[in-house]
Amino acid sequence: MKRIIFLILAGFPLAAPPVAAQTPPPFEARKLAMIDAYAHYPGPGDAGFGQIAARLWKHEDPSWCSQKLEQLLAAGPSGDMFWMYPVTAIAHLDQGQLTPSARKALRSAWKTYMPYRGDTENHFLLYYTSLYLMSQLYPNEPGSTWYTGKSSEENLEEARQWIEGWVKLTTTRGQGEYDSPHYMGVYLLPLSYLSAWAKDPAMKKRATMMLDYLIADYAPENLDGLYVGAHARVYEDQLVEKWKGVSSDFGYLWFGVGRPMPFPNNYTLYYAVASGYEPPEVLKRIATDRTKPYTHLERKRTRNRWRFNDDLHGPVYKTTYVRKEYAVSSDQGGILQPIQEHSWDVTWSVPDPRGIHNTLFFTHPFSSVHELQTYFVFGPDSAIEGVVRSKKTYDSPDKILGGSPYEKIFQDEDTLLALYSIPPGARFPHINGFFSKDIGEILEDPSGWIFLRGGASTYIACRPLQPYSWKPIAGGGKRLFSPYLNNGVIVQVAAVSEFQNLEAFATAIRRLPLEVRLDPVPSVRMRSLRGRQLEFTWGQSPSINTRAVNYEKWPLFGGPFLDAAVDSEKLVIRHANMRRALDFRNLISTDSGQ
Amino acid sequence: MKSGLLLLTALPLLAQSSLYVVAGAAKEYVVGAKLAASGLFRQTPTNTWEHLGYTVPFMFGLDYDPNDPSIVYMAAGNGLIRGANGGKDWTLVTGSDITELRDLVVTPTAIYIAHSRGIRVSKDRGKTWTELSGKLRRKFTEALRVDRTNPSVLLAGGEEGVFRSEDGGQTWKPSGAGSYQIAHLEQSPHDPATWLAATQGGGVYISRDGGKTFESPSEAPGVGRNLYDVAFDPTNPNRMAVGGWGPGVTVSEDGGKTWAARNVGLPRPDVSAIIFDPAHSGRIYASVHEEAIFVSDDVGKSWKPSGMEGRVGNRMKFIPGGSK
Repeated sequence: MKRIIFLILAGFPLAAPPVAAQTPPPFEARKLAMIDAYAHYPGPGDAGFGQIAARLWKHEDPSWCSQKLEQLLAAGPSGDMFWMYPVTAIAHLDQGQLTPSARKALRSAWKTYMPYRGDTENHFLLYYTSLYLMSQLYPNEPGSTWYTGKSSEENLEEARQWIEGWVKLTTTRGQGEYDSPHYMGVYLLPLSYLSAWAKDPAMKKRATMMLDYLIADYAPENLDGLYVGAHARVYEDQLVEKWKGVSSDFGYLWFGVGRPMPFPNNYTLYYAVASGYEPPEVLKRIATDRTKPYTHLERKRTRNRWRFNDDLHGPVYKTTYVRKEYAVSSDQGGILQPIQEHSWDVTWSVPDPRGIHNTLFFTHPFSSVHELQTYFVFGPDSAIEGVVRSKKTYDSPDKILGGSPYEKIFQDEDTLLALYSIPPGARFPHINGFFSKDIGEILEDPSGWIFLRGGASTYIACRPLQPYSWKPIAGGGKRLFSPYLNNGVIVQVAAVSEFQNLEAFATAIRRLPLEVRLDPVPSVRMRSLRGRQLEFTWGQSPSINTRAVNYEKWPLFGGPFLDAAVDSEKLVIRHANMRRALDFRNLISTDSGQ
Repeated sequence: MKSGLLLLTALPLLAQSSLYVVAGAAKEYVVGAKLAASGLFRQTPTNTWEHLGYTVPFMFGLDYDPNDPSIVYMAAGNGLIRGANGGKDWTLVTGSDITELRDLVVTPTAIYIAHSRGIRVSKDRGKTWTELSGKLRRKFTEALRVDRTNPSVLLAGGEEGVFRSEDGGQTWKPSGAGSYQIAHLEQSPHDPATWLAATQGGGVYISRDGGKTFESPSEAPGVGRNLYDVAFDPTNPNRMAVGGWGPGVTVSEDGGKTWAARNVGLPRPDVSAIIFDPAHSGRIYASVHEEAIFVSDDVGKSWKPSGMEGRVGNRMKFIPGGSK
């Protein structure tokens, strides 16, 4: 059956996917295309563990798989949990295909190599999922046969405890590495493993429900497959070219939206060869229905704060406004994650996002030993140097990625206020605004507003609160540079379809009542384009129509599609009359409606 | 009297000891990257280094079981590791509930660990653990020591200075350097009332009253810079040293009254770990950041490299028993 499907797939090569407007191939075909990309990797060289896993899944060329596996293992394992998860998949996809010698080499590596458990939740989830499944695969073996020195049963129990604890924490207080267009993959693939290969029915059920949970987390925040901000963690290339990442592969795989990468990320491959879980219809509808604008709320949590805080985790309050033409998304600002935080942006829809920078955002460039020591345990002197070795721009005044303690953000629908109060003596006393190379029109108005068109569908009004200049950006576009301590930007977005032209949009914006104060801290009072009275002062709670925003009542998920209360361990997913309810306390998933 | 007895038993053992170091080759390392030999090393009689056990990237403390010195314990990113057979055969002792261990102390009856969220003790060699940081406002603990003359007295260093407990960690009182993070603590092998604390930014702090109070000496080395290690010379009660980023190796020969930098011959004055050799008076080892371990036979007046090139030694310790 698998072979027949593969032959049919020949018409859907992954490297040239159908345009989004056309009907994508069905889910199974999309999944098989991703696996085939690895199984029949064209070179140069081979695709390593991924190619072995794909071929084992397809039951193709097991002798090559055995030979290649032994060769890779003989070279010496490395990669910590990023070595564990491919090898774990291969062990479970083996099913009698590998030679005894290759199988023995694989098993022996779990004695001769000690992977580091890592320092993030995705590291831990990969580590413990792999250890769980390998211990399950080789039960009743003594500690002398495992790198941990613990027996199979002890390994399994330790892993179970961590995985269950993480699920409970996530379904009560939100995810720590939330909404990452890249790192989403390293949560999805271990859950896919457990969903497919865990023998314990409770673990299997829990993992499958968590797949629904995490896919539901993505579905309302994608625009044509692009994961819109804010993100706990993102890399700079995907920050500006939002298509360029793991989320595009998953969006295409699950829902047929957007465009996958020319060669799929291996996170997607391992997701596919394990459970290859196809989301339920209700999630497909949420992911693709953009007929009505909506506001979607989420509560997440910070990464582990080892130092300088009384609580290990702090709350993250996310607001995302989505309509078919664009999305605006934000958190509350501040340092919520180290190094790779992205706190807000506007993303506009484009027919083909490949190579396009369809986004606008501002940030205050901030880096500090204090930030790093909050989230990491290392000492002060080599901290920044060590980070810059892998995250090149972390300590650059020109950077456009990362959170700042001096940035506070408030969003109401498609109006966003970002205020900055930078203390005297700060290393980088300015803010950076990212203006894409792909902005259609741009008008610097004498009123102080900047009006621009994003793609064919979106008008954006942007009001820096202080004077600015422009600086070029390598790779295209320009950076708004505003060197003032008390500063800010007001962003109001609208659909092109709402106005006759850019000038009409500009006229509407100019008419909005607006009061700005900069001292002692920036403060804005304005009427939004949507007729709402907004007030926001740096460091204080904002208000909408004179009513203060109540963060205490912020839901884990809230909006037209998802509902979850803090501490509930429940999530209701709904679209029209279709509904799926997840109850993690009782491990029950209930469907209703059509 | 009690301390004198302990000293009498400890020094002959240490005279036949081997130098161990926990070190990382983390120069280009990010999690998931290939890593050169890192973790636990032991100096051989020919002054080369033997890598023991697995390669792991992050290891910050080590101690040995005084009941059986062939068992080495390591405070590692993965947790507490017990290394039997001189450190060669490893078992992960702790589980998933703690991570990123920073320091440890092994006594005849207990194991204490400092970790990213507190302090724990095990009275059954790691089978069960009790958390001791409940009364500390901030949990992160970088340094931990047990008073060798009174096992109920614990000293802990975290982000708010040094804290002291007289009841085995049930309650804690601040004892100084409260404005600074503590990187390391040591008790004098000669006078149990004397302690040194390495701080981030505040230089060295000294206690003369058993850790009840810590004060900055008038000529404290390392003020405005970060110290990572402190050491007493077991062969000379007046000699002590600090290691830090900028101060390099700084030595006092008058019990901490005056201090002198001893960095001539070191490639850079950035030192992460130091230790005096208990069997060779005047010999001191220093780990220079991402360079090597250096050794001096004249209390730091001159230095020569002693292996471990490219690595960062995070802690060194002489452990009874010769190299095998």
